Amino acid sequence: MVLLEEVTRRLGPGVHFSCEKFYAAPGSRTALWGPSGCGKSTMLNLITGLLRPDSGTLRIDGADITALSESRMDAFRGERMGFVFQTFNLLPPFNALQNVLLGMRFSDTIPEQEWKSRAVAMLNRVGLERRLHSKPGTLSVGERQRVAIARALVNKPRLIVADEPTGSLDPKTAASVMALLLELCEEEKVTLLLVTHDRGIAEQLPDLFDCTGLAREDAS
Amino acid sequence: MSLWSIAWRYLWNRKLTTALTILSVALGVGMISAVLTLREETQRRFEEEGQAFDIVVGSKGNPLQLVLSTVYFMDAPTGNMDYAVFESLKSHEDVTHAFPIAMGDSYKGYRIVGTSRELMDFAPGARSPYTLAEGRYFEKAQEAVLGAQVARDSGLKVGSVFVGTHGLVQSSFAESHDDHPYTVVGILNLSGSPNDRAIFCDIQSVWDVHSHCDADHDHDSDSDHDHDHDHDHAEDPDHDHDHAHDHDHEGQEVTAALIKLASPALRFEFKDQINKHSNAMAAIPIMEIQKLYEQLLGTAKLVLLAIGYLVVAISSLSILIGLYMAILQRRRDLAIMRALGATRGEIFGAVIIEAFWVTVLGIAAGWFMGALTCAVLNHFLVTRIGFHVPAIHMTADLVSAYSAVVLMGLIAGILPAWQAYRSDVARDLAEL
Repeated sequence: MVLLEEVTRRLGPGVHFSCEKFYAAPGSRTALWGPSGCGKSTMLNLITGLLRPDSGTLRIDGADITALSESRMDAFRGERMGFVFQTFNLLPPFNALQNVLLGMRFSDTIPEQEWKSRAVAMLNRVGLERRLHSKPGTLSVGERQRVAIARALVNKPRLIVADEPTGSLDPKTAASVMALLLELCEEEKVTLLLVTHDRGIAEQLPDLFDCTGLAREDAS
Repeated sequence: MSLWSIAWRYLWNRKLTTALTILSVALGVGMISAVLTLREETQRRFEEEGQAFDIVVGSKGNPLQLVLSTVYFMDAPTGNMDYAVFESLKSHEDVTHAFPIAMGDSYKGYRIVGTSRELMDFAPGARSPYTLAEGRYFEKAQEAVLGAQVARDSGLKVGSVFVGTHGLVQSSFAESHDDHPYTVVGILNLSGSPNDRAIFCDIQSVWDVHSHCDADHDHDSDSDHDHDHDHDHAEDPDHDHDHAHDHDHEGQEVTAALIKLASPALRFEFKDQINKHSNAMAAIPIMEIQKLYEQLLGTAKLVLLAIGYLVVAISSLSILIGLYMAILQRRRDLAIMRALGATRGEIFGAVIIEAFWVTVLGIAAGWFMGALTCAVLNHFLVTRIGFHVPAIHMTADLVSAYSAVVLMGLIAGILPAWQAYRSDVARDLAEL
């Protein structure tokens, strides 16, 4: 599902990212673990095509994404990937339902006539059936992250990338959000890559990839 | 969910800023709308007066001065010409209407215009600028019909008596014609025409007033008199004729003759004939007025329009600044949209659509403000000077102006849209 081989990327003067090999099988759930600054977010950005590698092989769902043009990459990302961020990243002018609808707006995966029913179903699934029309500012942090999970999954993606999804939550809410995320990925048979610096969170997932040392200073 | 609704929700999300930006666009558009509408109506009205008569004939001098003094009652006359010239013009085969004009006196700054009774029945085009509001038309010497503005400002009513003073401007040193008082017999409707500012009387009144020191004069000054005369037309431009008149006007003078021809197409030929073959001067009012309009009001119009466009340009700048600041604050949102699959083109388009919304709403609000301005001006000017300001209607000039505003708004959106277009998604997501 996700394959990185000999991938390098210059990050700044004297610093570069280098990953010899990483593979995540379809439907797997993998934690990308490591301390801050080790390169795990860079790895996530490379996998999602938000950063382009300088060299190496990067295949997602069978496609060599390094060969895709930027517009094709945008479409590829919209169709096959879902994002969950640490700070939820809901769009403030839109209510919960509209934020989830936006997850389908920029791809052609779901027919337009099904958008609303699919979005409502996803929000029901994450337990927000009564908050469909609430703006992000009126939701609790736990509810916001549930909306973000619904948005990430609404488009029936093949891959979910979650960047510190529990980083802004209290332990109790974090546990329930993690449980929901894992449960939904299992249900939807989606591959999950979860970036975390928390070893405890990382060990909740079946697979763990240690990112320590991916970003390092150039050898002099 | 379309890009249009996404753009709209972002504008709605910052209502106050959006409303202020729309207001600034609206101010410029309102000014442009009102100026164009007023200009069009002013020009139409100005030219309408000029079209009433095909030719004005007076003594030699400046043709614009002749037109302004005799048609618009605005400038000093060029001088007088012999009444015989008027007589010969009146009997010309191409002339359908000819009215004498004699001026020299005024009352409280309003000109006393001596003319023939027939002028009061003259209705050029669809207009009737001499309709009575009350009373009747003058029928004999020393009877006066007041323009509506004169009646309102002077307080004279039907039956009032007043005395004219020598000269066309109000002055405490002016000679007063106390022995030739006028009686008001009628008041004209407010027409928005120069007639509102004039006092009409029989031309005989003017002659009588100015001949009271002339021992040789034939007229009885206060009479409902009969005159009889035969005279030669020494100034006859192109033909000989012989008339029998009720009055003996030999030696009398008129300031001008207002002429209506059988066809406007005859204007140039008739004018050339007069100017070449007589001692008088002919002018085509509409031509003189258009020249004046372009020279004087044309510049004023350009200045007002320039101010309007300047306001719109400043408004465009505020669109640019407002959107640019909004884009800087929204970098995270744009990055999220990109992460959700939005292309750079869609992001660019969404920002341009925001600029478009602001501009179009600004035009709509500006149109409303312009319409309101015209309505208020109409209410004020109709009652004050009879000048009707029409409601704003779409003209080619307005469509061009609005198109220019839309274009400026879109251009103002390009820089913020470009900023959004070239944003670094990975960096923006990482930084925020």
